[in-house]
Amino acid sequence: MSNTCMGSASRRDFLKAAAAAGAAAGGLLSHEALAQSGALNMYTWSAAVDLVKSHLSAFEAKTGIKVAYNTSPWAQYRDTMITKFVAKAPIDVMWVSDSWLPEWADAGWLAPVNPFPELLKYNTDADRFCTESMTYKGKQYGLTYYSDYMAFFYDAEMLKKAGIKEPPKTWDEVLQQSLKIKSAGLSQYPMMLSMARESWLIEFLSAMVFSHGGRFVDDKGAAALAQANGGAQRALQWIADAVQKHKIISPASVETGELNGLKAFGAGNHAFALLSRYRIRTLNDAKQSPIAGRVRQAMMPAGPGGSPATVGWMRFHGMTPQAAADKTRAANAAKLIEWFGGKAGSEYQFQKMLFNDLGSGFGIPSLFKDAEVQASYAKYADIKVFEAQQKLARKKDVISRWFGEWDEVNGTAWQSAVLGKSTVADALKKSAGAWNELRKDS
Amino acid sequence: MKTPDGATLAADEAPFSPAGAAPARQPRRAWLRPPSSAYDQRSAMLFLAPMIAVLMAVAVFPVLYSFWLSLFDLKLTRPHRVPFVWFDNYLKVFQDPLFWESVLRSVNFTVMSVLAIMVIATLMALLLNQEFRGRRVLSAILLIPWAIPYVANGLMWKWIYDSGYGALNGLLLQLGFIDKYLVMLGDTDKTLGLITNAFVWKEVPLATILLLVTLKSVRPDLYSAAKVDGANVWQRFLHITLPSLVPGFALVVIYEAMMAIRHFDLFFVLTEGGPADASHVVAWQVYVETFRKLAFGTGAALAYIMALATFVLAWFVIRATSRKL
Repeated sequence: MSNTCMGSASRRDFLKAAAAAGAAAGGLLSHEALAQSGALNMYTWSAAVDLVKSHLSAFEAKTGIKVAYNTSPWAQYRDTMITKFVAKAPIDVMWVSDSWLPEWADAGWLAPVNPFPELLKYNTDADRFCTESMTYKGKQYGLTYYSDYMAFFYDAEMLKKAGIKEPPKTWDEVLQQSLKIKSAGLSQYPMMLSMARESWLIEFLSAMVFSHGGRFVDDKGAAALAQANGGAQRALQWIADAVQKHKIISPASVETGELNGLKAFGAGNHAFALLSRYRIRTLNDAKQSPIAGRVRQAMMPAGPGGSPATVGWMRFHGMTPQAAADKTRAANAAKLIEWFGGKAGSEYQFQKMLFNDLGSGFGIPSLFKDAEVQASYAKYADIKVFEAQQKLARKKDVISRWFGEWDEVNGTAWQSAVLGKSTVADALKKSAGAWNELRKDS
Repeated sequence: MKTPDGATLAADEAPFSPAGAAPARQPRRAWLRPPSSAYDQRSAMLFLAPMIAVLMAVAVFPVLYSFWLSLFDLKLTRPHRVPFVWFDNYLKVFQDPLFWESVLRSVNFTVMSVLAIMVIATLMALLLNQEFRGRRVLSAILLIPWAIPYVANGLMWKWIYDSGYGALNGLLLQLGFIDKYLVMLGDTDKTLGLITNAFVWKEVPLATILLLVTLKSVRPDLYSAAKVDGANVWQRFLHITLPSLVPGFALVVIYEAMMAIRHFDLFFVLTEGGPADASHVVAWQVYVETFRKLAFGTGAALAYIMALATFVLAWFVIRATSRKL
């Protein structure tokens, strides 16, 4: 009897659940239908989600244009988006990394924004490397989400304890000061460099190569990193010596990603670090960092024949060809891109929100003069160094359609040389060979 | 009719008729009867059809489709040009020196893992086959690694192996074996061994259970007879226990070798194929080709080669041990 009752109840529950699921599916379908009929579909990776949502609400209220907002984690973002592109999922506006621009543009997944003068007008306000990072084959593919660069940080207190009065200006000075700090017993490995195989690796390597006056690729697009005594060779030799000979960088750097590097430097284990510029906010935040107040940014040390140049990167808002193909949709998408990447009202509202809330960088030099921005940054760092270094930031020269494939080979080659498993020359030759081969194939 | 443990079965529950006896009666309940007519067979097929359809959709079709994909030069990042290349992807894989280096690493990893699992699991099974106080508690504890998901296991070992704050370094330092923290996963000479250790830790419990079950099936009177004949412990182990364990060993070797060859999770969590290419095994290469380079054609070809290698290995092991089963 009880079984029968249970059976009956279960069936009823099942029917209820099925009805609820049907309603939910109906809701989803109607949402999808809404998205396809009028609302714009915006995809981003899962960062600054609350800020994006609040800025979207303001956009919807002002323009009456509805936006369906979706996110995916950064680590899976590229793969997820490519799968969506191939499956022709409805997407109008999305965040794009400069690393993927040639790949996505050549595949026809990105539409140029050149037909929208209301977006291009912001180029006059933007840093050159930012506009360059969004441009491919003479066409511009979006407007800023945020931009930043690789910065050189030091622990001022540790330097003081070691009797060092000024931060290093050259990589040789970094070595000498590190040896001094090491011999004083203040740090086993004074320099922190993250060399794990992840998407950050190319940013670290580019900063090292650029500051040594080198390049990965020449003006014609051929590999230039294997040139004897070129900047890339000097940079890799410096790192390999720092790990194997001088022992100022831990061999464990090859298993240290950017985030773990940040934690290690933030724990006070190192005197110097190469990290994303925006990390200084976390490092000098007493709630998050034991060395809060001690971290300063210095200009990137220069290698022999180099300069304090660094690498900058760009994340931007792009538009899909399917949005660009429909006149109304394209106009709405352009409005949305402008709302985020350009001015919302009379100022670069979203850039300022990102900077004030998260410390993310911007590619708009005029914002360095903004009183609110200056006051916000003064709480944890020196805006003059921030600005001076940004002027020397350069676009990565390896961005190409085959970048992803080459990056696998290049990362392995550099790690092999760092660990002494191959010579510097052989590692760079291998990487250069892979570059030229992939370029030829493509 | 009596069951082996002495219970009495009803006539219609008897699984078979004893030799020479009259055939057992047909089961009374209709649904217990085997299909005896075309109608029954059609009904059976009808009921099985949904499951067959599901299996075709989720298992057979993807397997065949992935083989079809392996015949194309398919890259998701180049969607407008997908040429049919016959077996070029397979040739490309075989001509790639990195593939053969990966094969060597996969073989190293598999041999080290299976040997370690066999030795440890055998010792554990022999221990748990004895009666002693706390045996049940020990058995329960043994199952813990098995219950931990692979990714969680990987994260745990990543902490243990960490060069800056890892428990292993801490332990070695406190015991006086080292005077400063060592680089663990970042050292190309140690990487594969450390991943093997994490894999073995996770896999030993299942292997122990399989061997313990085999041990339980050995008749105790064999040992009694051997004792009467004057065999010592070692002789009893060598001539009774070890031969009896052969079916268990075969099962463990096949299963663990298949697991090791295809293993991906720990390589992903602990090293991502690095440092340099110290842990770049075949399973990792499949992942890189398919999900990093988005080269589905080569990725599918690699996966088929790996599957084929697993089948061949299993066949050899079964063939080598079947005479003793």
